[in-house]
Amino acid sequence: MVFWRLRWRIGRTRLKQILTQSRFRASLVVVLSLLLWCGLLLMFLNGFWFLRAAIPYPETHDEMMHGIFGMFFAALMMMLMFSAGIILYGSLFHSPETAYLLTIPARTERIFLHQFQDAVLLSSWGFIILGSPVILAYGLVVDAPWYYYLMMIPFVFSFVYIPAAIGAVICMLIIYIMPGKRRLIVCTAGGLLLAGSYWLVWSLLKGPESNLLTPGWFQEMLGRLQFTERRLLPSWWLSSGVLEAGRNSWSESLMFLALMFSNALFFRQLALFTAVRIYRKAYSSLSGKAAKTRRGQTALIDRMLLTATRFFPLPMRLLMVKDLRLFRRDPMQWSQFLIFFGLVALYFFNVRRFNYDLYYIGWVNMVSFLNLSVVGLLMSTFTTRFVYPMLSLEGQRFWLLGLLPVSRETILWSKFIFAAGTAILPCSLLILLSDLMLDISLFVMLSHQVTCLILCSGLAGIAVGLGARLPNFRETSPSRIAAGFGGTLCLVISTLYILVVVLLTALPTHFLIAAGHIYVGQSVFDCEGNVLHWLHLWMFVGTLGSIVLGIIATFLPLVMGIRSFKRMEF
Amino acid sequence: MNEGIEFNHVRRSYSGKVAVDDLSLTVPPGEIFALLGANGAGKTTTIKMLTGLLRPDSGTIRLCGHDLAVELRQALRCLGYVPDEPFLYDKLSGREFLEFAAQMRGLDRRAVEACIAQETRHFELADYLDDLIETYSHGMKQRLIFASALLHRPPVVIIDEPMVGLDPRSMRTVKDLLREQSAAGTLVFMSTHILAVAEEIADCIGILDRGRLQFLGSIAELRKESASPQSSLESLFLQLTGVENGTPPPEFSQGESAR
Repeated sequence: MVFWRLRWRIGRTRLKQILTQSRFRASLVVVLSLLLWCGLLLMFLNGFWFLRAAIPYPETHDEMMHGIFGMFFAALMMMLMFSAGIILYGSLFHSPETAYLLTIPARTERIFLHQFQDAVLLSSWGFIILGSPVILAYGLVVDAPWYYYLMMIPFVFSFVYIPAAIGAVICMLIIYIMPGKRRLIVCTAGGLLLAGSYWLVWSLLKGPESNLLTPGWFQEMLGRLQFTERRLLPSWWLSSGVLEAGRNSWSESLMFLALMFSNALFFRQLALFTAVRIYRKAYSSLSGKAAKTRRGQTALIDRMLLTATRFFPLPMRLLMVKDLRLFRRDPMQWSQFLIFFGLVALYFFNVRRFNYDLYYIGWVNMVSFLNLSVVGLLMSTFTTRFVYPMLSLEGQRFWLLGLLPVSRETILWSKFIFAAGTAILPCSLLILLSDLMLDISLFVMLSHQVTCLILCSGLAGIAVGLGARLPNFRETSPSRIAAGFGGTLCLVISTLYILVVVLLTALPTHFLIAAGHIYVGQSVFDCEGNVLHWLHLWMFVGTLGSIVLGIIATFLPLVMGIRSFKRMEF
Repeated sequence: MNEGIEFNHVRRSYSGKVAVDDLSLTVPPGEIFALLGANGAGKTTTIKMLTGLLRPDSGTIRLCGHDLAVELRQALRCLGYVPDEPFLYDKLSGREFLEFAAQMRGLDRRAVEACIAQETRHFELADYLDDLIETYSHGMKQRLIFASALLHRPPVVIIDEPMVGLDPRSMRTVKDLLREQSAAGTLVFMSTHILAVAEEIADCIGILDRGRLQFLGSIAELRKESASPQSSLESLFLQLTGVENGTPPPEFSQGESAR
């Protein structure tokens, strides 16, 4: 009760502060989340309607739905287990709150449960955003009875509890048994998870193109989804329960709910039992690990950076090396981006499997530009999350930089070069991968690389400039700084910038290629050559426009930021 | 039951590096004990073991008669702890935090209100008790954590660096309070770098050097055993830890450590 009261009071205060101090940010988050949720609902509604129409036999349709739900919930289960384990590692073993709670006479299992419930809430956000539209859409398509919607709440809660509890037990066991090897284990598990996802996507999408969306193709897919049909998996119980409720078979559905609920309680008890037995011992043994001794010499990557930037003044290069060291020694920061980049690369690797070239060459180019936008958007979250807070974080240790013989302008420029350089490499490689997989022309490939350069430079300029113009010296956490007004504004401006830059080059390229393709096949433009002329002009103006916009986005925020930073008092 | 604190051949290492070595020490109720030592001497490890955050590799620790390895929860009930870097819930008000700390120690509603009122007066927190903790200055937070540690009238109070961040007036308040607590039978166990504080209020001091207890006794005893009895505590401390002239520490009496 005391812990619940504590959580309630903290939650209430946070909500009040959000409603009074960050209305813009809160509204933006709510509106964007709602838009995403509605978009997902529409997408799943269309998908389920399509499946219903494409598979005329009810039994095959139900089997297919079972396979799809099984795979969807199995993937979510893995995600929940992994994220709950990572969140609990931070909250059980590294949070100052836990260090405080362990010195008061609270039961060990209460302290564990307090952190576990927080982890369940945090890690199940993704499930709520992704899972609820799926379940709702299915209910609407099959015209499910009223209790279908009601039963989904206990179904979801009991389902979430199971992987979270397993993740908690694994987390405590790893720290207890091998506190010195925890990073290696987590990295291996992450690698295996990515490799597993890759294999899964690959195995689902491979196959002869002639079978696409035909009854034979559906049969083949069903065979490939068989591995999700293992009856000991909670994901199978959930998909069975959902489908039974949708079929108006409430007693069967209730049985699956009871099964899930009892298992959720069992795993909760197992996690509590593990916590009572080993949590304090694991905490103590982790605290007993000495800090890793670093080699005295400069790391290879630092030397490479120093060599690559040898044309810049030494203070600027040293600042960049310092930023690189801080960045790479905080895996909690960059690991999530590594996962995102991995997933995007996974998608790009498989992009040819969709066989767009069957239909229309213009689609290939459209997809390539959409991919460019996706990478740009990913990069904008990177610059908002890491680059924007850099200067705010410097503010707290500005006594150090402020006393060095380095001008403030140099500090900002070093941050810009570091940010732009760090962003260009992965961005350019991802785009190259996408273009190679789509087998697009060299001309478009080059145009994409130029756009990529413009995007990264502009995004870095916006993030560094706004970081200096709207700093937040009160917060010490980069994620909180990024989530503030300045960070939100940075994200919004970056998103608009990406859309405008991509559209400026994508539209004329798309029409030009489409026109060229038709010209080759049907000679439509043979008598209307001036259309091609106008398209070339549009292409030229669009490219020039995107370059000019890139220069403005790079320099305007930077100049504003430098001015503001020079006037700033610490 | 208050039997004070008892360390019995306690050893703790970090990946093979010994932080505390064969520590045996008894502190009776009602005493103010100051643990002194240079950075890295093992003070914080000792305090963390005493609060149950770390487990000794070998040896036993008893707090108010409870073996920490066996009856940790009962031992923690007897404890008020002020860490050097206190954790506070920023989104709670001072009153809400004190209520939480008191309720976690099993005080009923009436007792909670009475205790909060008393500690608020002691530490002059009344004016901002209902403000959010995130708006407090460092000194205000330090006073709040003192109040929360003393709310339930614990028989043992452990303080890691008691004067960090306090203004002179608050320092005086804390020193007076510790003396009051000691007079009422409370054991105060503190670690500090500020030798003047130890000299002023401690009944007994222990000097740790590289994990080993080099001296245990009163400051008068330390002076008596030293080669230069007129020296300041600072000089005695530096002599004992071998920093004064770069020589290894002289052989001071450790007979007291069996007290």
